[in-house]
Amino acid sequence: MLSSHRARSAAFVTSLLLAAAFPLLSAPAVSDLPTVLVSRQLAERGKLHVGDTATFANDASGANATRFRVAGIYEPTPDPMRFTSPRIEARLHLPDLQAMTASRDDPASGESVRALNIRLADPGDADAFATAVGARVPGIFARPTTRARDGSDPFVVLERFHLAVAIVTVIGSTAFLLALMVMRSEERRETVGIIRLLGVSQRFVLLVVLAEGVLIAAAGAVFGVLVALAAEGGVNQFFQWRYDTTLVFVRVSARIALQSVALAAPLGIVAGLVGSWTLLRRDIVTLVRR
Amino acid sequence: MTAWGLAWRTLVHNPARACLAIGGVAVIGALLFDMLLLSRGLLVSFRDLLDTAGYDVRVVANEGSPIHRAPLDGAPALADAIRRLPGVERVALLRTGNAMAMTPGHENTAAGVTLIGSTESAMSGAWDIVKGEPLPATVAAGQPTPLIVSTKLAELLGVGPGSPLRLRVSLGGGASALPALDCRVAGVGTFQFEAEDFYTVATTMAGFAAAQGAPESEGDADLVLVASAPGVGPEAAARAIAALRPDVRVYSNAQVVEQFNARAFTYFRQISVVLSSMTLVFAFLLVATLLTMSVNQRLGEVAALRALGFPRRRIAANLLCESALLVGVGGAAALPLGGALAVVLDRILRGMPGLPERLHFFVFEPRTMVLHAALLAATGFLAALYPVWLAARLPIAATLRREIVS
Amino acid sequence: MTGTAPIVEGRDLTRVFPMPAGAVTALGHVSIRIAAGEHVAITGPSGCGKSTLLHLLGCVDRPTGGSLFFEGRDTGALSESDRSRIRLNRIGFVFQRFFLLPMLTAWENVELPQAEAGASKSDRRARTRELLEYVGLTGRIDHRPSQLSGGEMQRVAIARALANRPALLLADEPTGELDEATGEQIADLFDRVHADGTAIVVVTHNPVVAARAGRRLAMKSGMVVAG
Repeated sequence: MLSSHRARSAAFVTSLLLAAAFPLLSAPAVSDLPTVLVSRQLAERGKLHVGDTATFANDASGANATRFRVAGIYEPTPDPMRFTSPRIEARLHLPDLQAMTASRDDPASGESVRALNIRLADPGDADAFATAVGARVPGIFARPTTRARDGSDPFVVLERFHLAVAIVTVIGSTAFLLALMVMRSEERRETVGIIRLLGVSQRFVLLVVLAEGVLIAAAGAVFGVLVALAAEGGVNQFFQWRYDTTLVFVRVSARIALQSVALAAPLGIVAGLVGSWTLLRRDIVTLVRR
Repeated sequence: MTAWGLAWRTLVHNPARACLAIGGVAVIGALLFDMLLLSRGLLVSFRDLLDTAGYDVRVVANEGSPIHRAPLDGAPALADAIRRLPGVERVALLRTGNAMAMTPGHENTAAGVTLIGSTESAMSGAWDIVKGEPLPATVAAGQPTPLIVSTKLAELLGVGPGSPLRLRVSLGGGASALPALDCRVAGVGTFQFEAEDFYTVATTMAGFAAAQGAPESEGDADLVLVASAPGVGPEAAARAIAALRPDVRVYSNAQVVEQFNARAFTYFRQISVVLSSMTLVFAFLLVATLLTMSVNQRLGEVAALRALGFPRRRIAANLLCESALLVGVGGAAALPLGGALAVVLDRILRGMPGLPERLHFFVFEPRTMVLHAALLAATGFLAALYPVWLAARLPIAATLRREIVS
Repeated sequence: MTGTAPIVEGRDLTRVFPMPAGAVTALGHVSIRIAAGEHVAITGPSGCGKSTLLHLLGCVDRPTGGSLFFEGRDTGALSESDRSRIRLNRIGFVFQRFFLLPMLTAWENVELPQAEAGASKSDRRARTRELLEYVGLTGRIDHRPSQLSGGEMQRVAIARALANRPALLLADEPTGELDEATGEQIADLFDRVHADGTAIVVVTHNPVVAARAGRRLAMKSGMVVAG
């Protein structure tokens, strides 16, 4: 009796174990799942790591969901046209995406794509190729990936905007610079008067002012470039944090630095000369009089 | 003499210096004003543009975006159902596409146009007729398709009410094999959403379908515009429509604005914050430097006033008033200057392709003036703190001695 | 010295200035009493501490050691605003370099301390006119300092110093930047001020000005050596 009881118990446990194991035996192993690459932003938001499984569906209700294995996490290439949109994206193999998004009502949907990226043997043929394709295949847009930097390019427009702002800033700061130079000259009124009384010519005083102006303007311009480099880091950090992107927003290139120095230095010198002119045009008696 | 009077006399005693300093504050203040205008300008302008169309709820397909729309399934039935909702006053169906417009016999001088098909014969707010008639409610068989063309297109092609026009729809891409449709200009109008370098043509839904070579698609639409009933409001109407058809997307104008605010406008808001901050720092440094140098030049006077019994707070009040005058007069001058500068900057930014002509980046709001004044006042106050500290704390005897010796 | 209560009394005054190269004792253990209505001249070579003593008497500076009493009050215990009030209402200062406000007219320079002291507009007008007549400048009331001669500027400065009817007038080298003749005019003016009852302490190199004083204190190396 005992042995038959034991035999019946063993059979029951075995069948239980088999029943429990059945879903595991029938489900695909993780390694068999199709793979997906997820963006860093999606990985952070979904707390995904390499090797995890994630379910994707083309429908908000989750119908026709497909499980994928996260094969990797990538940093999306920063896109200046889309930097305000959070890069919550994933990359699937095309057949997997087509299988997931195909509509039963449209047999062709399983074979449709929205865009084709083409690499030409000769990139110089891009314009001609795009024109030829557009003419031969109605219903598609073909265009080269290089941007024509004409006036309608949004980044050209932004460049013009920033240039206008920079010009206004320079005008404002020039007004202040002139005010400061006039004040500086007034401080030296008596000194200049005494020097002139001693017989030193106006020309010599002007040369001294010019030399001083060149030194100060050059030093100031270089200092300004250093401040710009520091600000560059700050602005980029702020915007990269704000938009969670690796896009570089501000870059102080050598050309820009040289342009800034080329503009600031002469401005400083001219401001110094203008300030000194207010002094040198006065006669010696007026200069030394308290 | 009050502190204000003394401050004013101090400024006018050196007119060149004062004019330059006030000029500098005016220019920097103008830039600050414009950056403050920019922080909300596009949003305010876009909201105004949406509201002038006269509809406050938009229904689009689940796919696509408010701009790039996919066709709506069962649009006519959807429109009828929406019309029957108690909170809805008016419904219009719209579809858009691209076409080439040309006058007969001048096919080689065709102009690319945005073609709008609408169930409404007159969409006051979306377009306003300036010449001719609105779209007819019905078109007799065999009659040419009626069109409303924009004033710019009418001028370009030299057409007016009654003129013949041909349309060839582009179904995407550079080349179109569809035959051109013979049309007639019913009216010339101004389109609220027309971009500067674009032309717009409106027609009936039947006309649109005919131009596409698919008359059976007359009922198709990719946008349903809804005007909510007074007293109900767009939010309630939007909720009712969303409950009616959960498979479509429903936006009130406020929600559309919010979406654009979060996506497209955020860059300009951020850049205005950055530039405003830098402008304020700039103004602070410049005014502080100017005042400090001015105090350093007048240390003897300040020491003498202190020796005569003028208390520290009086000296501080004089300097604060000087700063306030400098920043106040400059700030007041900044407003008209900023207005003029805003016109220039707006023109530059509106060079971006595809922007409606009526959309502006810089829009005046009274609150901007108040904010501008408050920021400049705070900057002027902070900029005066160091020179005030210098003047109030100077050692009287040592300063007098130094001034005499020097 | 008279038996009347002193306007200002300094007891064992010391003033040391810390310098990078080492501390400098500008004034060492000086005691001084100035009675009401007295006219005192302080003379001595440059750097002997004359101006330092004047600054201490005028509550412009604080002694490093010793104590100063103004009209019986220990100024060491007073706050800076109390000391300012004393300077505004009870002391007048005349400087070698005049230190008139260049953006104000002669009239406005004299009126300014009265406004600060809270005098009414009519009182200010009357007092300013009186003072400018007193110093002989009724014809220059609307002129700015840049339009006045050195002597005229100093007379405006004296009028300004007298604006609030001070008990004590302190003058630091008032004729230092003036010629002899003009210096005499200033000395005459001080005589009038003294005759009207104001105590005067004048630091001077000018023997003419020093001779007008009722008492002379000679200083050397930070100490009173005579007087």
